[in-house]
Amino acid sequence: MSETAKKVALTQDGKRASFNLFPDLCKGCGLCMQKCPVNIITWSTDLGVYGTPAVCTTDQDKCIACKNCELVCPDAAIRIIVKGKK
Amino acid sequence: MTREKIALSPAMPKCWNPETKPHKFCPGCGHGLALKMLGEAIDELDIQDRVIFGCDIGCSLLSWDFFNVDSVQTHHGRTTPVITGIKRARPELIGIAYMGDGGGYAIGAQHLVNSATRNEKVTAILINNTNYGMTGGQMAPTTLPGQKTETTPYGRDPEETGYPTLGPEMVAAIAKEGAYVARGSIANLRQLKKFLKKAIQNQVDGNGFSFVEVVSSCPTNWRTNAEATWSFVEKDMAEYFHVGEFKVPGQKEEK
Repeated sequence: MSETAKKVALTQDGKRASFNLFPDLCKGCGLCMQKCPVNIITWSTDLGVYGTPAVCTTDQDKCIACKNCELVCPDAAIRIIVKGKK
Repeated sequence: MTREKIALSPAMPKCWNPETKPHKFCPGCGHGLALKMLGEAIDELDIQDRVIFGCDIGCSLLSWDFFNVDSVQTHHGRTTPVITGIKRARPELIGIAYMGDGGGYAIGAQHLVNSATRNEKVTAILINNTNYGMTGGQMAPTTLPGQKTETTPYGRDPEETGYPTLGPEMVAAIAKEGAYVARGSIANLRQLKKFLKKAIQNQVDGNGFSFVEVVSSCPTNWRTNAEATWSFVEKDMAEYFHVGEFKVPGQKEEK
């Protein structure tokens, strides 16, 4: 995965990984919420590209950095950055 | 929980065209997932400069500016022959024909069947979402028995309209040695990427026809939320459309 042009991301820092959401890409389909194994993804107060709610995590410290949400996002609106890796 | 604003690159495949993102597909559409896996497969095989991407009419045509590769948008159902023609004229290129179930199994079925019989060295990728998405969710050849669509408001009746088309099984039955036929699902994306990579690699090796059907979703026309979408793809569709490889080059023909 190479570096493409940068966009505005809303970042939430946690113990194991940070959750980065791109409001310009998120369409609010909710597929990621169903696939989170620890059920921490929920609707955000920030709006996505279609004016629908984007997503955020309730407690980023509970994130196990499985990257399921990043994988199932059809719009690549989520990026998980694992701590200690570059 | 605080949310800070930072500048960051999205985790997109390198061959995606970032200027056209967010793409034109509906929220939750399986096309985005299939094209993400196809993009990662193209990146990993490092063939971006050699790929010709052809898309059909239907929802799949919204991918015409999806990749930073040479693209062509063809007449309805004619993606396979157009890509076949390009591949015959320029054999060093890698032709990928991308279509929906209407283009591949209804109006374009003859092209799919004949390309498979001739063992053309192209890769065909077919997205199966059990209806005609762009025109408003009418019954398609792949609509499941009992499924409600715009034109089957009481559910599809197999007595009247037959059973859903099983494309990979059909192509595997008529394709010759060297063909690669598989069915993946957006419920298992890592496996889907493996299938797509093998299908493209099969063409790079010059073995023969490669065909991958992708079991996909259509939340807009199914009128489902995220939970019901996943359950329809993972349970209802998986019962009828079995995921797996149906023909792999190198296996001996059964006599």
